[in-house]
Amino acid sequence: MTITIDRRRFIQSAAAGSAIAAAGAIFPGISFGAWPKVAGNTGVVSWQKTPCRFCGTGCGVLVGVVDGRAVAVKGDPNCSVNKGLCCMKGYHSVQALYGTDRITTAKIRKNGEMVEVPIQEALDLVAAKLKETRDKHGKDSVAIYGSGQWTIPDGYVASKLFKGCLSTNNVEANARLCMASAVTGFMTSFGIDEPMGCYEDIDHANVFITWGNNMAEMHPVLFSRMLANRKRRTNVKIIDFATRLTRTSQAADTSILFRPQTDLAVANAICHEIIANDWVNWNFVNEHVSFHKGKTNIGYGTEDHFAFTDQDEAISFEEYKKFLADYTPERVEKISGVPAKDIKYMAALYGDPALKVTSFWCMGMNQHTRGTWINNLVYNIHLLVGKISTPGNSPFSLTGQPSACGTVREVGTLTHGLPHGVVMNEHDRQMAAEIWEVPVANIDPKPTYHTVEMFRALDRGDIKFIWIQVTNPMVTMPNLKRYREGAKKDDRFIVVSDVYPTPTTDVADVILPSAFWIEKEGMFGNSERRTQHFAEIVKPPGEAMSDTWQIIEVARRLGFEKQFPWSKEDYIEKIWEEYRKFHAGPKHEMASYQVLRARSGVQWPFVNGKETRWRFNPQYDPACTNGKDFDFYGKKDNRAWIWARPYEPAAESPDSEYPFWLNTGRVIEHWHTGSLTRRIPVLHNAVPSGYVEMHPEDAAQLGVVNGEKVRIISRRGEIVMPAQINGRGVPPRNMVFVPFFDESYLINEVTLDAFCPISKQPDYKKCAVRLEKA
Amino acid sequence: MMEKKGSEKWAKAVPGLLALSFLGLLLVTGREARSVEGLDNFDHQGKKLYEAGEATPEIYLSADSGDRNLASFYELRQYPGSPPRIPHKVDLSFSGNETDCLSCHAKGGYSPEFGKFVPVTPHPENSLCYQCHVPLTEEKPFVASDWQSIEPPRLGRSFLSSSPPTVPHSLQLRENCIACHTGPGAVAEIRVAHASRGNCRQCHVPAVQTDELREFQRK
Repeated sequence: MTITIDRRRFIQSAAAGSAIAAAGAIFPGISFGAWPKVAGNTGVVSWQKTPCRFCGTGCGVLVGVVDGRAVAVKGDPNCSVNKGLCCMKGYHSVQALYGTDRITTAKIRKNGEMVEVPIQEALDLVAAKLKETRDKHGKDSVAIYGSGQWTIPDGYVASKLFKGCLSTNNVEANARLCMASAVTGFMTSFGIDEPMGCYEDIDHANVFITWGNNMAEMHPVLFSRMLANRKRRTNVKIIDFATRLTRTSQAADTSILFRPQTDLAVANAICHEIIANDWVNWNFVNEHVSFHKGKTNIGYGTEDHFAFTDQDEAISFEEYKKFLADYTPERVEKISGVPAKDIKYMAALYGDPALKVTSFWCMGMNQHTRGTWINNLVYNIHLLVGKISTPGNSPFSLTGQPSACGTVREVGTLTHGLPHGVVMNEHDRQMAAEIWEVPVANIDPKPTYHTVEMFRALDRGDIKFIWIQVTNPMVTMPNLKRYREGAKKDDRFIVVSDVYPTPTTDVADVILPSAFWIEKEGMFGNSERRTQHFAEIVKPPGEAMSDTWQIIEVARRLGFEKQFPWSKEDYIEKIWEEYRKFHAGPKHEMASYQVLRARSGVQWPFVNGKETRWRFNPQYDPACTNGKDFDFYGKKDNRAWIWARPYEPAAESPDSEYPFWLNTGRVIEHWHTGSLTRRIPVLHNAVPSGYVEMHPEDAAQLGVVNGEKVRIISRRGEIVMPAQINGRGVPPRNMVFVPFFDESYLINEVTLDAFCPISKQPDYKKCAVRLEKA
Repeated sequence: MMEKKGSEKWAKAVPGLLALSFLGLLLVTGREARSVEGLDNFDHQGKKLYEAGEATPEIYLSADSGDRNLASFYELRQYPGSPPRIPHKVDLSFSGNETDCLSCHAKGGYSPEFGKFVPVTPHPENSLCYQCHVPLTEEKPFVASDWQSIEPPRLGRSFLSSSPPTVPHSLQLRENCIACHTGPGAVAEIRVAHASRGNCRQCHVPAVQTDELREFQRK
């Protein structure tokens, strides 16, 4: 595609270029960004609210608009999430609208070449190909793969079309790679998804324990709220419990390192200590907790068609205590490398009745082959001491995408999910069929493929048509090579809706131009059950269209006008009001469209005009009905469940042939696969490329210095990238860390597609590699 | 949307005295809108400002730096009001904690390392500096950008011929006026000669010309 710049702009940028050159001569190493200015602007900006486009914190931002262009950002002081403060990604988010390689027209593959076509023609082809594939290969040969960046209406219409109309449960989202273990953790421990607490816990807690979570970089706005609390109040501590030293470790009061995967053993040892010292809150445990165990030796899912169903068995407290006997701090020290005294220290913090404790975690615990278990185990700790559902006492699962909660978890855009409940449940299917106005027989009671298996099915040929919206699986899938080669196979048809070219659009047969973020109306849902509406603030470029409307267009071409009757003027409002019916009732009541429009986010359950800040606590939660001080109404026995879950090793651990752990993750400057943040000049110029973080002694042994190339080799693939030594993060010996945002260093060609058998979420944090100097 | 465009035009059209009454209107409505939950952290009384003024050593109020001007100030920003880039090298292990950035940027003063007077942060209560501020390690863009900024606020806009000029920018994260407007690290064009008076907002009122949050209605 060629880029047209009008002459005047060209002259301006040329002039700016020479100014940069001149400034560079005076201040070597400094580039001055002299941007052209919106013509005729008097400095008067109109500000409109939206949630930030990036992580799951869900900061309220105000976007400044001049002449139909987004020109500035400030934090929304009326949003309780961030109270007017953003991070570098939020402040510069609007620059992501203006990369010159925006996809503004539809493209289809003709004789191997991508050619531009009118979007209506492309949508005709998508509908025709979907129908043809379905007719020829059956209903489960077509799939849609979205993400936690889908707005709530995007996910809702995707589910309605595929599950309700096309009768296939081939609906997944990249939140499977990100949040699935959090969901199964909540479901198994509480029977209902999403955190009981809220960000206000930060203003009440005395102790923060971050579990494998570099919050300083990944959730900076919440982390700085913790720091501000530590400064303002006495008796506030931050404990960083991690596998490598990060900026969070630097800011924490104490940093405790554990060997990968052994968080399972340490969590059990903490519970062992709590019981051994009788720090158990017996009133709470006797009233509100029941004890359970599940299957063990549950596998890793690395083989195709892997299946696993857990089976719970009630146990007594005595049996649970006996199970914990293996996890004395001294024994766990040997497994985990965490000194027994540090385990006892953490147990004492959780156990001290005078301290309010909040635990935070995100990908470290979720991207884990025992992700469901480690979620359960941290809940165990909080439940034993009764530190839950009260201000400051909160086991808090953070999210990484703006609407992983709102769209994927609440709308249920996973193979087993429905907007309310699951496809396996007859009552839930009936409810969906009624609201969707489809025969109940349309909804298949059997889940099909979770994400990894969906891409395996694409490789095998069980799936022939896949529509990928708002995500970049050709960067993010573990064991990537297999899935890329699968997607490229001859009779696979790949539709990709996106805003910029990515390695995923590279494998597409049709590329649909999407409206980005504030170029369309929608809602996100953040980590603390907050639904956040945003209006269309600026116009989408060219023929770009919202993902919701793309799906509606295709649905109508397939003959589902009745289910998708809305007009462009008010479809978001109509979809919201239809979707809201699924959540009626005090456990999940959602605010009306009008309320969402008016406020900077509203927390559900939203009952009688009131938000619910702490669930399961009758002082705050109107769904509590048992007359006691807590009501864990998610489970049939009205109790929260403590699980006996053992330590089991990782799917692949270092050995003599592959002696290093490979850990992957993120940096503050970039978000997800970087397709947006790398187009934000400030962020790209701060961290322009991927790198491999090494321990200085490992680097010395290998003979590499900062910036020299290292080859990272696993059983799946290899990659060569520059080393970073003593940078912002320092892994322990025999571990390397690689951020995955850079599409020119596809680290996922090296990672392993092992997953948690319960959540089916892959473990991106642990596999074995060896290193060579390249 | 209609309402917004209308009032924008209105704001551009009213000159002189009319603008003063319009400003009054803005302030009144602004105040009403601000009495909502969540704004309680804002320092309406200027206590923080006053105390910061008190604590500033006399020498910082009069010394001269000579090289920081509005052009270089805005060149570090993507738009007026954005967090500036870090215009100097930082260590690879840059941690941004208090012993690093704030050791210079909390109180300012002369830095022999950089040969300059150091600008003072207007929000020292925020100590996770790298949350918003990034260094520059590479000058080439990933792809070109069609970004356009806006004109920075005009200086010296008094509503009466001799009245104190208004504050033309939002005070969010910039509640401490003296950080940028006084002392040797201040920006030359906006440095004031009477900083010792301390209570800036006794005379200078915030008059940011925006259509604040008109598109939607707050409860």
